[in-house]
Amino acid sequence: MTGLAETADRRGPRFRRREALLLGGVAGAITCGWVSLASTVAGQPSMGDPLLLLAFLGMLGAAHAVLSLAGSRSDEVLLPVAGLLMGLSLLMMVRLPQGLVVQDFGPLELGLAPLQLIWIGVSLTAATVVAVALRSDLWLRSYKYTWAAAGIALLLLVFAFGEETNGARLTLRVGPVAGQPSELLKILLVVFLAGYLADNRALLAGRATRLGPLRLPPLPYLLPMLAMWGIALAIVVVQRDLGAALLFYAVFVVLLWVATQRLGDLAMGVLLFVVGAVVLYAFFPHVRGRVEIWLDPFATAQGAGFQIVRGLYALGRGGVLGTGLGAGLPGVDGHLSIPAVHTDFVFDALAEELGLAGALVILALYVVLAQRGLRIASAARDDFRALLAAGATLVVVVQAAIIVAGDARLIPLTGITLPFVSYGGSSLLANGIVLGLLLSLGDTRLAAPPPPQAIGRRERLRDAAGAVAGRAERVIS
Amino acid sequence: MDPLGVSLWIIRLAFLAALYGFLYLVLRALWRDLRANLRGVDRPLGRLRVVASPDGTPPEGSVFALDAINTLGRDVNNTVVVDDGFASGRHAVLTFRGRAWYLEDLGSTNGTWLNGERVVSPMLLGWSDEVQVGRVRLRLDRPDLPPATQ
Repeated sequence: MTGLAETADRRGPRFRRREALLLGGVAGAITCGWVSLASTVAGQPSMGDPLLLLAFLGMLGAAHAVLSLAGSRSDEVLLPVAGLLMGLSLLMMVRLPQGLVVQDFGPLELGLAPLQLIWIGVSLTAATVVAVALRSDLWLRSYKYTWAAAGIALLLLVFAFGEETNGARLTLRVGPVAGQPSELLKILLVVFLAGYLADNRALLAGRATRLGPLRLPPLPYLLPMLAMWGIALAIVVVQRDLGAALLFYAVFVVLLWVATQRLGDLAMGVLLFVVGAVVLYAFFPHVRGRVEIWLDPFATAQGAGFQIVRGLYALGRGGVLGTGLGAGLPGVDGHLSIPAVHTDFVFDALAEELGLAGALVILALYVVLAQRGLRIASAARDDFRALLAAGATLVVVVQAAIIVAGDARLIPLTGITLPFVSYGGSSLLANGIVLGLLLSLGDTRLAAPPPPQAIGRRERLRDAAGAVAGRAERVIS
Repeated sequence: MDPLGVSLWIIRLAFLAALYGFLYLVLRALWRDLRANLRGVDRPLGRLRVVASPDGTPPEGSVFALDAINTLGRDVNNTVVVDDGFASGRHAVLTFRGRAWYLEDLGSTNGTWLNGERVVSPMLLGWSDEVQVGRVRLRLDRPDLPPATQ
């Protein structure tokens, strides 16, 4: 009786109190920032044109309302944290010169900020739809090789038809729509890896093959990993997309380590990375160029190092408390002080105007995302979900770490977006889907995972063959 | 310093303060989750509240925290000691299996009763059902939910 009452109750709408409270905090902070920006630009206390702000807050409220009405039982901190990052993104896009990106929709000509707002809307919609509609993960886990094939096909499409932007071939144009498939590729990769590693965990952790002093997993299970390493190298060589390659490879190594729980795997992944990095440095000038800029950007301050040098100046100008929104230098008189300030260098622009204090808040938000995501992973009901949640978290957080470290000249700069903050439809859409996945995996109402299959694939095939043979015999008799 | 500069400066700092305010709210939420999780470890599965006890041992209104397996009876090594003249030494056992509670009689002299019905074979029971052992009646209560788990 009580059980029935509970299940009936679990389907109904449920007010997500904590999420509402935190979203209130987001609304307050972003409104405050909006007033600060508008006042600085106008030179007098002003609200500016609050249309975009209200639209943004409306979108956040709508996402919250949908999750509440659908009775979602998932994490209530993820959405507000991503929401604040999106809000900071919107503030920065409003502040930057609008001519940076212009797209025509018939008679309507939209600049940077409205476009970014549209993408934020798309991202929030994707997150909510995935969070509410994904009730069973069966189709994700059963078709893992299909996802892998789709990912490789996507990669090949980019290899063949991709357009070059800033020396990296990563934009795919279909009619009027241009996108960066590597952003969607990372989701496919995580789904495939989660399925593959969850299925073959025991086999991968076992050490059957001996290669000199090394003890390796059985060869057939080693191949996909070498393939992964090869794909990462291929992305660097053919696509010249260092950021995506680094992200994919890092997520792969960490997930492998999570699955096998062997520190040796992590060490071997790092070793392979070092080998690959040295080889690439020796043979490919674009990799060498990146490293040289990183080591001494001031040697080519007016040439290749211009972007990094300007980024460092921006960080320095910001100081501890920042110059204030709208008072920084990125694009005062119409032209940009840092190239690609709205995508790769958005962190530097925010750090200039919000200072060290604001930059630390941004980093802390990513740390919170990591904590919530890994918490969902640790509470997951089976290996596949745990690995999927961990992978989805890693893909966002590692990407943020790579680009922030690159912006601050901690590691060589690799062009990649800052999740939820950088301008760009593909990036926002992909990260929205990742957010939705995390929300859905954290939902206690997700259908129970299928029972683990104790017998190996070969035995299962044999059983199936035996059953078919038996049926045939019965038909004959 | 002109009033405009001062007000801009104040708004700017207010924005930073608001960002930190949000961070504080988030961290408070994380901290509460952590506390709730820690408390969940030693949270009992349920509670037995003594509703009626003519002899006064156990006293009326006292509460027993329940584990997965709980024995009831007069012996001192039972989980729930029911020191009643009509109770047997090893009287009944109350277990939590899967997602439900079961009550089983251990061959007691005077029988175990569930909501006034004699327990012959193991019986399923839900929250706020009443168990009678001897003349002592006990009610199965929910474990207290820690505040603000969600």
